[in-house]
This record gives sequence, structure tokens and C-alpha cells, in this order.
Amino acid sequence: MRQEVVLALLAKEPSHGYELRGRLRRALGPLGDAMNAGQVYVALTRLEKAGLVTAERAGAADQQDRKTYVLTADGHQRVSEWLSEVDWPRPDLAEFHLKLVAAAGTGLADPITIVDTQRRELLRRLREAERAAMAEPDGSDAALLLEGIALRLQADLRWLEECERSWSERGSRS
Amino acid sequence: MADAPVVCARELRRDYGKGEGLVRAVDGVDLEVAAGETVAVMGPSGCGKSTLLHLLGGLDRPSAGEVWLAGRRIDTVGEKAVARLRRGAVGFVFQAFHLMDELTAVENVELSALLAGRSPRAARRRALDLLEQVGLADRAGFLPTALSGGQRQRVAIARALSNEPVVVLADEPTGNLDTAATLDVLRLFESLHEAGQTLVIVTHDSRIAATADRLITMRDGRFVDETRLTGGTTGRSLGALAGLEG
Amino acid sequence: MGRVVLVLRLAVRDVRRRPVEAALLLVAIMAATTTLSLGLVLRQAAGDPYQATRRATAGADVVASVAPLPSGTQARPADVAGLTALTGQKGVVAHSGPYPVARTSAEAHGRTVAVTAEGRDTTSASVDQPKVLHGSWVRPGTVVVEAALADALGVRPGDRITIAGRRFQIGGVAVTAAMLPYPEAFDYGVQPTMAQVKDRGLVWLTQADARRLSAPADLSYVLNLKLADPAAAMQFVDALEPDPSGSPTSGAQSVPLLMLEPWQVTRDNASILARNAQRVLVAGGSLLGLLAVASVAVLVGGRMADQTRRVGLLKAVGGTPGLVAAVLLAEHVGVAVLAAAGGLALGWLVAPIVAEPTAGLIGSAGTPPLTMATVGLVTAVAVAVAVVATLVPAVRAARTSTVVALADAARPPRRTAWLITLSARMPAPLLLALRLAGRRPRRLVLAVMSLAVAVTGLVAALALKAQLSTSNFASTAGLNHARTERLGDVLLLISVMLIALAAVNTIVITWATVLDARHASALARALGVTPQQVTAALSAAQLLPALVGALLGIPAGLALVAAVDPDSTVDPPLWQLLAVVPVTGLVVAGLTAVPALLGARRPPAPVLQAEHA
Repeated sequence: MRQEVVLALLAKEPSHGYELRGRLRRALGPLGDAMNAGQVYVALTRLEKAGLVTAERAGAADQQDRKTYVLTADGHQRVSEWLSEVDWPRPDLAEFHLKLVAAAGTGLADPITIVDTQRRELLRRLREAERAAMAEPDGSDAALLLEGIALRLQADLRWLEECERSWSERGSRS
Repeated sequence: MADAPVVCARELRRDYGKGEGLVRAVDGVDLEVAAGETVAVMGPSGCGKSTLLHLLGGLDRPSAGEVWLAGRRIDTVGEKAVARLRRGAVGFVFQAFHLMDELTAVENVELSALLAGRSPRAARRRALDLLEQVGLADRAGFLPTALSGGQRQRVAIARALSNEPVVVLADEPTGNLDTAATLDVLRLFESLHEAGQTLVIVTHDSRIAATADRLITMRDGRFVDETRLTGGTTGRSLGALAGLEG
Repeated sequence: MGRVVLVLRLAVRDVRRRPVEAALLLVAIMAATTTLSLGLVLRQAAGDPYQATRRATAGADVVASVAPLPSGTQARPADVAGLTALTGQKGVVAHSGPYPVARTSAEAHGRTVAVTAEGRDTTSASVDQPKVLHGSWVRPGTVVVEAALADALGVRPGDRITIAGRRFQIGGVAVTAAMLPYPEAFDYGVQPTMAQVKDRGLVWLTQADARRLSAPADLSYVLNLKLADPAAAMQFVDALEPDPSGSPTSGAQSVPLLMLEPWQVTRDNASILARNAQRVLVAGGSLLGLLAVASVAVLVGGRMADQTRRVGLLKAVGGTPGLVAAVLLAEHVGVAVLAAAGGLALGWLVAPIVAEPTAGLIGSAGTPPLTMATVGLVTAVAVAVAVVATLVPAVRAARTSTVVALADAARPPRRTAWLITLSARMPAPLLLALRLAGRRPRRLVLAVMSLAVAVTGLVAALALKAQLSTSNFASTAGLNHARTERLGDVLLLISVMLIALAAVNTIVITWATVLDARHASALARALGVTPQQVTAALSAAQLLPALVGALLGIPAGLALVAAVDPDSTVDPPLWQLLAVVPVTGLVVAGLTAVPALLGARRPPAPVLQAEHA
């Protein structure tokens, strides 16, 4: 997860670290559970070093939770840049594609078996995503994220179907 | 007898047309569904999955092979007997809901109970219980036209459950629904599953299919793959899928 | 129990969901049942009052009368002795009379009518004692007036009446079975079949008063005979009557101017009008019944399209084929039973109006009773109409594969290749019209049949009307006219109902075609056909069968008249027959324009999209 996410969560108002964690948890739902608690503090420390946030100590000296983090001017600048970025995570389809080509070319493995194994794996993931979505209350932010996951998996499954068809046709031709 | 499959098909075949135009909609299918299991049959449209469902529920007759339902063979009995069996042993859920527009929600639900010869009072009580179960107790007196798509499908599911069927057969149950309504229906199926209801769902949607215990992929009238989705753990967490790790 | 509730509920809900169709069904069947009940009720009206009167008056089995030979060379008084001799005939068990009869005229409230004035005893006679309805029997100086005559003159007991110049008080109003009611009363001793002024009534007074009304030589005499075997009255008369050629002029010998009237002849003559009306009504009722079958068939057939899905659904949740058929039948049979009840009630209410001219007989003034047989027959016919029209679609629906029904695949239209080829050369509206018509051959047949039946009825009505206006019937003067008018009213009523029902049919068929052709017309419009062209096509699709129906109906109508009344057929004027065809066409065009226009103006997109739903 990029540090900019933590930075952007701070942009609303100066917050304690645990408040940031709470916001993340709300937005991610069950996926937030996967995050380890330290991640946010690691990110905050790095951001502080980079001069994008400053920490104000409110109460007892050495308790991290008592620190209130505030965005600096540079930090604001960074958040704006991040929000306007047009980056999109690229799924690494080429690797899987080449794996199939290699398997067929070398004869070390059957591409169809590879596709099938992959398909089952994706279906199990999809099942998990759907079950997580079913467990979410209506209108939660996390449900939207889970929907995104499910749609991606669905797209991947469709591609796998195409792969299977294509490779089984090639297999029968040769 | 406890392990006997609730639904069973052997060498099932259904042909349409003749000669050059012969189409094998279902072509030599073997299937066993255990009690309490949720099975999804997935495949592109025209693969024969709806025909298979109709054959399993006695809505259609096979050209060859056997269909067993709750330990009884149904492909050899008469139309009337099949109707009776459908009434008691099978609950159908359709993509297009197929509610009677002129009947209210509760009247639609009690339809099959009345057909089965229950007393009107008993049928009504059961129907109201079922509507409560699908979360529509406050909509009992509404006509289908006054309900949303998801609500209609829940009414249809309540109707399917009214005679305590040994199996619920659902044909694209979420095909006409948006995401939220789809989730409602899936949640309902999940609670039925937990209560031990046997379910067979045919769908072209991998997302619906993935919620089942077992997924059968069908193509050109045949089963081409079968995957047990329960048990095996996925290598990566959902967080990883969302880009939260790595 | 639950299943019965279900069947009833589905039937009632479906009716409520489509009230207009249900109302049309009701109207169609009710038109037929009303007419039929009217005919059946009239059949009783025609026979019963006479019988009732006969019983109440100890009616004579044979009425014998003699008249004096008219003044001239051979003039001589009536042969009373010859008349009295009849009482000694074999088979005669009782008699009354002979009574003196004066032929004269009566005047009351400024109206003058010919009357037969019969002199009676003040005591009761054992044979033919007229039944007094109001007031009391004859006393010296008072007159009892026959009921129909009293009705026509508007007189009541206590009023004054002038007979042959003498003033009398009306003592009572009575009925008899010995004589036809006013205006059909005949002259005693004069053959009633001979051309004569049929505007004659009957009054009774004491013998003494009667004798004062004319010169003794001019008196006729009447004798009422009771036979051991009333059914043999005809034979009794045949045996006695001189051969018909022995008419008054040549027959100065034997028993001149003796007239014998068996009771059966009087009965038939008394009920002739009611029987004519009944014939017309039964014929009309059958035509209306045919039309009703057509209506119901079209309505039910049209509905089956949207019933298909319901059928599939019912079967999917476990309805047996029998139950499915029961659901479909229950609704229409329910409507039919309702229509039967309505038709019986209407027929029963209308019957007295049509049967009124037979007043003068007991019982006809009130309403004829509805017998169980009538109720049963009318209900059976109504239910049969519904069942006949519903059975085929119901059985078809019950047998349809559930899967097909659920997919809502309506019966696919037929493809009539030659029509398609033929229509390809025609302008757009006609092209569409022919193809639309060719899609549903059975509906086409129904449309042709419906119009043919209506035109048959119309032509028959025209022919009967022509007959009424040309026959000697109408040339007879006086109040008798009312009678033909009444028959004319019945004809008009039936014609109006036929036309109304045919109109309903046409609209229903058009609407069914519009619904059926929704997709085709949407597609045509998407391809650039204008709404006007579609409207014209939909109208034309009805017009073609209408014209065929009209052409078939003309000979059928003439044949019907010939069959119902083979004696005196008068063809209606040629121009009327020729006018039937274009008028039918115009009316049908007008009737179809509205539903066709409504159908054609829908935007095509939603219809085309609905395909995917």
C-alpha cells in the first residue's frame, strides 16, 4: 500500500494514528483485517521523515498513540498530485500467457491443466469475495471494493475460458 | 438411505429436432446431488443447462436416460404424477420470477400449497411464515407489480419453499437483478443452505456459481469440468487481491 | 378445498384484471341467452293462456253456429233446429245454447267497432261459461265485454257502451276460449277464413237484450258442445262438415251456413302471433348464439396468448393438466352462468311486452312462468357456448410443454406462402393487410363467420319486413296493425342485437389482431411504414373477411327465411340486398379504425425491446 493513502486520509483533519487505522478499517471492511497494525505507523514515520507530515505531541511523551499528525504544505501538495495521478495497477497477464506458451512448447506441462488449476484457484477466490460481500451490510464502502474484486476475477475467469478453448483447439489440431 | 442422492441423473439425454437438424441439448449427463448440497451448473447460454434443470424437475422429458428425485424415478411416470411430484418435491425459481400478476405476494406463495390440497388456512399461515423468512412480511398484501425485482424473486423463492421441497431448482435466479438484489438472493440461498436445503442453481454467471459447494461446467450438452469449491484454501488473501499486500 | 379456492380465486382475479373483456364476453353470451329465453318463454305464452282460459271457462270442444242466409231471393232465417240437432250426435256429452247472436256495432269513448253480441243466460252455463275478470256476469240491461276489446276501447265495468244504438251499462269484463280475442273475433256462422274485416269484438248480454238488437230473421245462433274425447274434436267436425264446395250460395239443402269450429283451431289462431314472434326469436337466438360462440372463441383465443405463461407457471408449481384446464374453464363458465341468469331475467321481463297482443286470454296479461326446463336449457346453452369456445384452447394449454409455455412462446403465426407472394405486388397497406390476415387463418374464419351470421340475420329481417309490409296482413284496417308492428319490433330488436354483437366481434377481432401484430407492425414501422399505412393495413385485414362474410350472408339469410316460413316468402328489394355489402364494409372500416389507430400509434421501440425481456 502506498504511503500516499495514509497521507490522503490525514488531509481531512489532524488525527491520531488509531483514528487513521479506524478510517482505513471502515473503508476496507474485512480486507482491513489483513493489514497489520504497524503498517500505518511505519508509513507515518516515513512521511514525517520526508517532511510531509508533522507530529504534535499532546500528552505523555513517548506514547505514539498520543501523537496528532498534521499535513505540511508539502504534504498537501503531494496529496493533490496523488489524487490527479492516472496510474492503474497492471495485472500481469503476460507472465501467465508466456507460461502457457512455454509449457506447450517444451512439453513439460499441459497448458490445459495449468489453465484448469488456475481457474479453480480463481473460482475459490471468487467464492471468498462473494461470501465476504454477502456478509457486508448494505451500502458499506467495503462492499464496493469487494464488487471490484469479484468483477476482476470474473474477467480473469473469462480470459481463462478463452485460453482453455484456444489451447484445446491447438492441442487437437497438432 | 441417508447417503442416497436427492437428485440423480444417469446417462441423461435430451434431443430436439431430427435428422440434419438434430440438437443434443443434454448429451449423456451423469449427476448426483447429495442432501444439503448446493450445486451450481455453469455454462454459456445454449449449453443445455436450463434443459438439464427442466429435466431434473420433471418439467421436460428426457429422450434417454434416467432421472431420480428423492429416490423415485420420474422420467417414466405420467404427466399427472409428475405434476404431483413437482408440487411436493421440487421448488422452482426462475429468472423471470413467473409470479401471477393478479395475485398478491402471499397468495403467490400459498399457490403451490393450495395446489397440494392444503387447507386455505394452513396454506396462508405457512405463506406468511415464509414471507417473514425472506424478509417480506410487510409486503404480503402487495401485488408483484408493486415490488422491486429482488423482492419479487424473494417472493418466488418463498413460493418454491412452500411445500418443503427436497430440492430447490433455480434457473438464472439473479439474471434480472442488480447487484444489491443479487446479494439479497444469494444471502437467502446461503441461509437455506445452512438450514440444510438442497439447491441446484444453473447460471452463466461465474459469480453466482462460485457461491456453490460444487461447480459443474457445462458445454454443448456435456459436463466438461467439476470443481469442489469448499475445503481447499486459497493461496492469497482477499487483501492481496485488492492490492493491499505485496 | 384449497384447490377449489384456488381455481375460483384465479378465475375471479383474472376477470377483475380484464374487466372489459369479461364484460364483452358477458354481453355476447347474454345477447344469445336473452333471445333464447324470450323464445322459450313465448312458446309457453303461446300455448298456455289458451289452455288456462279453456280450463277456467269449461271451454267448448266444438263451437257450432248458424247464420241466416243474407237478404236476397233465398233469404231465410238461421236454422236453429238443425243446430240443436247436433246435440244428439254421437260423442256429445254436454252442451250449452243455442244462444242468439246479433251482428252489429258498438260504440264507446267515441270509438266504433264491429261486435258479435251473444245472448246468454244470467245463470252459469255448463259449457263455455266466460270467466269474469272484473265486475259481474250479465244481468238485464248490462253488457259483459270481452277483455281484449275492453282493453282496446279503454272501458271498465260501470262505463257506458252503445250497442246497435241502445245504451247499456258495462257490467263486467270476461274472457272465453270459444272465440278469438279482439280484434280477431269472427262472425258466427260465417267462415272466418274468408276475407273480411278483422276488427271485430265480442260482447255478452242477456238473451232478451240480444234479441232486441236486431230483427229476429237476422239473428245467428251459437251452440257450445262438449265431447267425450276433446282430442277428437277435429274428426268430429270433419265428419259433420259438408264438403267445402258446399258453400252458402250453392248449398241451400242440408245444413246451410252451419259453421263448426273445433277448439284446436281456435287455440292455434289465438296464439299465432306469439308463435310467429317465437319462431323469429328462436331463429334469431340461434344466430346470436353462433355469434356469441365466435365472440367467445376470439376473446378466449386472444387471451390464451397471455395465458400461456400462467399455464406454464401453474404447471411448474405442480398443477396437473386437469387443474390447468379447470382454471381456464372456470372463468368462462362462470361468466356464462352469469350471462344465462341475466338472459333469463331479461327474457322473462321482455316476454309480456312481446306477447301482449294475446291479452284477452287468462294468464297472458301476467308474465309467463319460467319453467325449470327453460332455465336448464338456457343455462346449458350458455355453458356450452363457453365450453365449446374454451375447450380447444384449454386442452391445448393443458397439454403444452411446461418449458415452452414458460418461455411464453405464443403459437407461432402461420406462413401462407401464396398470400405472401401475392401481396408482394401490392401497395404497402394491402401487402401488410394480406400478410396479417394470413398469419391467423382460424381467426380469419371466425371473422368471416361472424359477419356472415350478422348479415344472414339482417337479410332475414329485411325479408320478413318486406313480407309484413306487402302481405294482406298489413292491408287489413284498424287496430290489427298493432300486431304486425309488434312483430316488426321483435325483428328490430333482434337486428339491433345482431348488429351490436357483430360490432363487438369486429372490435374484438381487430384488437386481437392489433395485439398479435404488435411486433410485426413495430418492425414495419421501424422499416419506414407510416402509422397511417399500418392503420389502413389493420383495418383492411378486417375488411376483407367482412366483405366475404357479407356476400355469404345474403343467400344464407334468404335461405333462412325460406326455411323458417316456407309458405310466403317475399324477397326484400334488390337495392337493399345490394346495399348490405358496401354498408357492411363501411361499418367494419369505421369500427376497426379506432383500435387499429390505437395500435398503430404506439412507438415501435418499446415493442421491439419487449422481445428481449
